[in-house]
Amino acid sequence: MVEDDELAGLLARVAIGDRAALQAVYARQSTRLFGTAMAILRDRTAAADALQDAFLKLWQRAGQFDPKRGQAQAWIGQIVRHAALDAARARGREVLSDDPSLGDAAVDPTALDDLSAVEDGRRLRHCLRQLDEMPRQGIVLAFVHGLSHPEVAERLGTPLGTVKSWIRRGLLTLRECLA
Amino acid sequence: MSDTLPTDPEARELLAGEYVLGTLDARQAAAVNAAMLTDSDLAEAVATWSRCLAPLSRLALPEAPPSDLWTRIEATLPANPRIIAAPVASRLSWLWRGWALGASLAAAVLAVIAFLPNAEQPAFMTVLVSDRASPAWIAQTDRLGAISLAAVRPAFGDPQPAAPDGRVMQLWGLHPGQAAPVSLGLLPRTPGRVTIPTPALRPVNDMLIEISLEPAGGSPTGRPTGPILFYGRLIEVPAPK
Repeated sequence: MVEDDELAGLLARVAIGDRAALQAVYARQSTRLFGTAMAILRDRTAAADALQDAFLKLWQRAGQFDPKRGQAQAWIGQIVRHAALDAARARGREVLSDDPSLGDAAVDPTALDDLSAVEDGRRLRHCLRQLDEMPRQGIVLAFVHGLSHPEVAERLGTPLGTVKSWIRRGLLTLRECLA
Repeated sequence: MSDTLPTDPEARELLAGEYVLGTLDARQAAAVNAAMLTDSDLAEAVATWSRCLAPLSRLALPEAPPSDLWTRIEATLPANPRIIAAPVASRLSWLWRGWALGASLAAAVLAVIAFLPNAEQPAFMTVLVSDRASPAWIAQTDRLGAISLAAVRPAFGDPQPAAPDGRVMQLWGLHPGQAAPVSLGLLPRTPGRVTIPTPALRPVNDMLIEISLEPAGGSPTGRPTGPILFYGRLIEVPAPK
């Protein structure tokens, strides 16, 4: 992917302290990344703080990115997700499961079609479709919206223990399918 | 972190998966973070799950951040990057091919002063040695305070000055009389030659320079957490007449 090669090149420049390269990463990725943080935090101030935190980490860790071990876009996205998840944990992940902005689009099975834009996404979509509806929703809610087990349970109207076992079994099925 | 992590392979796989999924609570996530420092299999499992699940990020709707966010980010970036440039191949290594294991450090320093090719006159220098006292890095500073490191080709059987997978070598400085080392940056994975143009600590005589082995991303605590691989003390080099 040309786009990802370009990002990887920018990360290599960030690693040697090139601010303009970090700004170029921001210019290309901030809308996507802010969306990632917003899906988890659902608060523009908190999402902006998480993105700021993530870009500071990028500045410090860009040298750790190894293009042989993964794609630049996914690597950057994961730093942002973890920054947002840390913020969500720090504020106690108050349950906002009745928030109307929360992820109806993402739990709609047709939303998985969005995954087909990239090769890895097509494989993941294929594997996610092997899961039952509810475990799949649980996994998507957790990953995309940063919901904890109790939040997923409340959202899906299912006992906590059931949700935990769905997610575990879902992950094992995914791993087997993706291997 | 008193949590003991599971040893059962399936339970470990699930722990890594749930870490990436984000369903671990803060305490469990911190336990995984801590364990990944020393448990490279767990770190690898986390990396694999990250790659597998990354496409799910596409399901979040893109949204433009506040217009002043970049300005805010730029204002908080540390003035000096803590990450050091990728190395070029060591031009000094040939010097050391025939280096006898038992040679004294004083001789090493003198040899460097005498033969260092096209280098600036260093203000301080030292040879960083392993715990077997074999020279591994030449460290020197210039009159402006920049610190340069050049890897020395190790004698047979000595540790390579390179970090294993998932770990990184971190450079530290400690002024005489101080207790807490200060991070000077992360070293590239492969040995070579690196320069830290503006180190976080001003080079002074008798300053301890050490390199520790740390988890990817560097020490999470701001102090060395892994073994000290190499160390040496700066000595002043007389200015040219």
